[in-house]
Amino acid sequence: MTRLTCPFCGPRELCEFEFHKTVPAPGSVDEYARTYLRVADAHLSIEHWQHVGGCRAWLQVQRNPSTGAVLAIDMLAGEPR
Amino acid sequence: MSAAPARSGARLGPGELTFTFDGRRYRARTGDTAASALLAQGVRVMGRSVKYRRLRGALGAGAEEPNALFSVGEQPLLIPNVQATRLVLREGMSLRSQNRWPSLRFDLASLLQAGGGLFSAGFYYKTFIWPCWRRYEGLIRRLAGLGEAPRGCALPMAAIEHLRCDVLVIGAGPAGLAAARAAARAGASVVVCESEPACGGELEFESALVEGLAGAEWIAATLAELAQRGARILTDTTVVTDNNGEFIAHAEPGGLPGRNAVYRIRPRSLVSAAGALEQPIVFTNNDRPGVMLLGAAERYLARYGTRVGRELVLFANHDRAYASARRLLDGGMRVRAIVDTRDEGTVAAAGALAPLRAELAAAGVALFSGHAVTAAVGRRAVAAALVKPLGTDGAARRIACDTILVSGGWSPALHAGLHGGEARAYEPRLGAFVPAEPPAARVHAGGANGRLELGAALADGHAAGARAAAGTGAVAGTDGGAPPQAQGDPPPRLAPFARSPCSVADEKRQFIDLQNDVTVADLRVALAEGFIDIEHVKRYTTLGIGTEQGRSSAVPGAAILAELRGVTPADTGTSRPRPPYQPVTMQSIAGFHTGEAVMISRRTPLHEAHVAAGGVLEPMGLWMRPRYYRANGGNAFDAAVAEARRVRAHGGIADGSTLGKLEIAGPDAAAFLDFMYLSKASSIRVGRSKYMVNLREDGIVLDDGLVLRLAEDRFLATTSSGHGTHMLSHFEHHLASQWSGRGVTVTDVTDAWAVIVVAGPQSRSTLAQVLGAAWQRSLAGLRHMDFADGLHAGHALRVLRASFSGELAFELHCRPALAVPLWDTLQSAGLSPYGLEALDILRIEKGYLVGSELNGQTTPLDLGMEALVKPGQSCLGRALLDRPAFHEGTRPRLVGLRAADGRAPLLAGAQLTTDAASTRPCGYITSSAYSPTLGEWLALALLARDRAVEGGTVTARDPLRGGDTLVRVVAPVHFDPTSARMKA
Repeated sequence: MTRLTCPFCGPRELCEFEFHKTVPAPGSVDEYARTYLRVADAHLSIEHWQHVGGCRAWLQVQRNPSTGAVLAIDMLAGEPR
Repeated sequence: MSAAPARSGARLGPGELTFTFDGRRYRARTGDTAASALLAQGVRVMGRSVKYRRLRGALGAGAEEPNALFSVGEQPLLIPNVQATRLVLREGMSLRSQNRWPSLRFDLASLLQAGGGLFSAGFYYKTFIWPCWRRYEGLIRRLAGLGEAPRGCALPMAAIEHLRCDVLVIGAGPAGLAAARAAARAGASVVVCESEPACGGELEFESALVEGLAGAEWIAATLAELAQRGARILTDTTVVTDNNGEFIAHAEPGGLPGRNAVYRIRPRSLVSAAGALEQPIVFTNNDRPGVMLLGAAERYLARYGTRVGRELVLFANHDRAYASARRLLDGGMRVRAIVDTRDEGTVAAAGALAPLRAELAAAGVALFSGHAVTAAVGRRAVAAALVKPLGTDGAARRIACDTILVSGGWSPALHAGLHGGEARAYEPRLGAFVPAEPPAARVHAGGANGRLELGAALADGHAAGARAAAGTGAVAGTDGGAPPQAQGDPPPRLAPFARSPCSVADEKRQFIDLQNDVTVADLRVALAEGFIDIEHVKRYTTLGIGTEQGRSSAVPGAAILAELRGVTPADTGTSRPRPPYQPVTMQSIAGFHTGEAVMISRRTPLHEAHVAAGGVLEPMGLWMRPRYYRANGGNAFDAAVAEARRVRAHGGIADGSTLGKLEIAGPDAAAFLDFMYLSKASSIRVGRSKYMVNLREDGIVLDDGLVLRLAEDRFLATTSSGHGTHMLSHFEHHLASQWSGRGVTVTDVTDAWAVIVVAGPQSRSTLAQVLGAAWQRSLAGLRHMDFADGLHAGHALRVLRASFSGELAFELHCRPALAVPLWDTLQSAGLSPYGLEALDILRIEKGYLVGSELNGQTTPLDLGMEALVKPGQSCLGRALLDRPAFHEGTRPRLVGLRAADGRAPLLAGAQLTTDAASTRPCGYITSSAYSPTLGEWLALALLARDRAVEGGTVTARDPLRGGDTLVRVVAPVHFDPTSARMKA
């Protein structure tokens, strides 16, 4: 099973985390674009996850969907949507 | 019963046993596999092929076997598709061949192939379509499929063991053992998985010296050193898949699933030393029982003393065949001929081979170079081999034999579960594909890396182990020492050769994939139809599907496809195999997660009370809640009607503890809730509560519930029972993002408060009696939606006057410790519990949403909540509510329905049409109940806005359960529309 490294808890199994969504395309201003227009980049996906089975932190995960590699995991902050 | 011949082999024990195969009894030695015992007793036909029902025997001696799949045991507890080559026999075992009816000797479906040649690729797609494919489905289903599914399961529950290590070594052949030893010597923690019951791989039978020791001695010495260094060796255990860095290994002791079946192994780095799989060469009728891999024959001899035949013809494209012939001769078999596809010049170029060839010739072996076996002769099994010179029109020679042993080289085992997205590169020297650019933490070694010579494999394994250990930063112990030196078979000097020449007509009998009956003719058809890519060819012809996954078909398939297309195998590539590498039983995957242990369940503090009172519990999300109480009726319907009637007449109590309860606190709590909910929380006064609705960001209703203002800066929000955890995440998401840094926190207090609902005309008087004098004033002062906090029996208690039943009702929010005493006292005071079914009746009567109306597709406007939607609101999801599509006449609208005749039952799920002739639904019934109060069936429905006119009629259509019912559209609130009872 893939592991994600929670900034608080360290490397944890994927089943502790819950995927929420990918972030909208940059520059999406109106509500429709922010809700429906998502980035579909083969090499970079920026996603919101929650460590529901642990510290419950909301995380921004950057992944390469082509390889499954996790590029970065940060605390979620600022604009949510 | 045949007499058991005296045999000796590395894997045979001293004991004897008996087993049955297709009803006949056979003898075996302990340690025998089904295949080795049957072959030793002259049984060669072990099954029929899945499509053409041709007779098949064992091709291999281990996990590579595509043909000899048996069913073990009897229905309902049979285990299908067990490889006879891996199945270690136990006393009394009952085995059956597969894909035949009525018997293995005579199969009716095999007559299909007698008619007009074999079905070619795409036959089913093209033939069984007129007038409708469904007409043929039954017939095809009877013929299709590998084996027969078990009707029951008696497999032991499989424990799942989690392992961590520095280095995981897959395969305990020479390369794997060398790698494990080097890694262990470097101080790494090592786990070795070997799919065979014993370690050693080829060393088990190759006559070789390693570090001055005979093969078996070196294996024993290495295993002893590994054990002493703390390495863990798992035999009978196949790594079946790489689950993103966690490797799943499945143990099948003796070829059958056992008790400790699954390992989840997370290594820091991996050495893949699973060896190389011997590849067949394709020729006409190469699927006849008696055609076998050369290496398999050697294994049968060395491990079980089983001679696979008396008169052998060897067919190969490399030097190894000669050393093998020597060993087979020594084993007491007669080698009639060695047919080498390489020309005499190439064969003779290796001077070292000359003495061996001379010796073989002297022993009566006919040596052919530049020749090929073009066909196997014999109807039920091999009777002779046709041998022809290559490149000339020489006449075919017929060599009588009972076995053709074939070897077309070796394909590195880049197996399904392991290679993931890894690239493979064609290596012309091997005529096979080798790993290309594996990731850093993954090292291929030995045969799996294309190193086919013992010395090279050992050195490669040793280096791989050292590298893998270094990559983990393991604390260095001793260094790995010198790589092991070995004397074994010389390099094979292989010349790729995939298939013997034949006429186009005979290509129908040149089998590439034996398990799936894919022939050269099928590849030709696929190409003619325009399927050029290997992945398309795979899907069109079924090449390499099933449990075979290209183990013996991928390399010949690629080479033959390349030949037909006029390109090279490097251009065609091979299709990507799929995990698991070996079949894994569902029981092993499930482990202990069966029955009640499939999911955790949450229980309220009143759970035991419900069970004791005969409550019938049902799951809601993770919660268990009482549907009804058996004392009130023999079935859900009767009990619910009785319970609902009693609530309206006197009153009742219900367990509301499963409601999600979130406490939102802080100076910005009100502003936060104003954003999260459609209506304003900031306008709620302290001590009051309000029914509120949340939206998703796209404007669809997410949840509803009551919000209580406990203090200026403190709220309690209740959510529906199944939604509590999701709503918590939803709130936390917004807190973590644009509300981060603001003065608001959300705390899940669901388990901190038990909730008892007290409903009905007598609820207030009963409560007054139960709670006593201290609560008289506050109870009397409570208006609808007010709440009061206080103490009862020393514990915190909150009484909220709110109603989901349409009756005068109170929610008692109490500490869990108080729940059972309060519940008992309320019962003693004359109120009986009611379940969810009764609550649904009460809600439907009152037009309250039951749950299926909040289906993730409805907006507040659809649900009749226009009053909550106002211009200028800026809450979550509000902006997208203004989308024009949400305001069209086809949008659904919540309505009430009653049967036009006042009697017919209405059932949730029925589709609504404008009249009995129409078949296009304009809505459907979301929930329904028989109302004891009104004496008829009531329903809530979502109906197209254009149709949602009170007084109109539509047809409720439910052909499977009730037929058509004419229904009247009415207001959703069926009972007490002025809420006089609730506000009494």
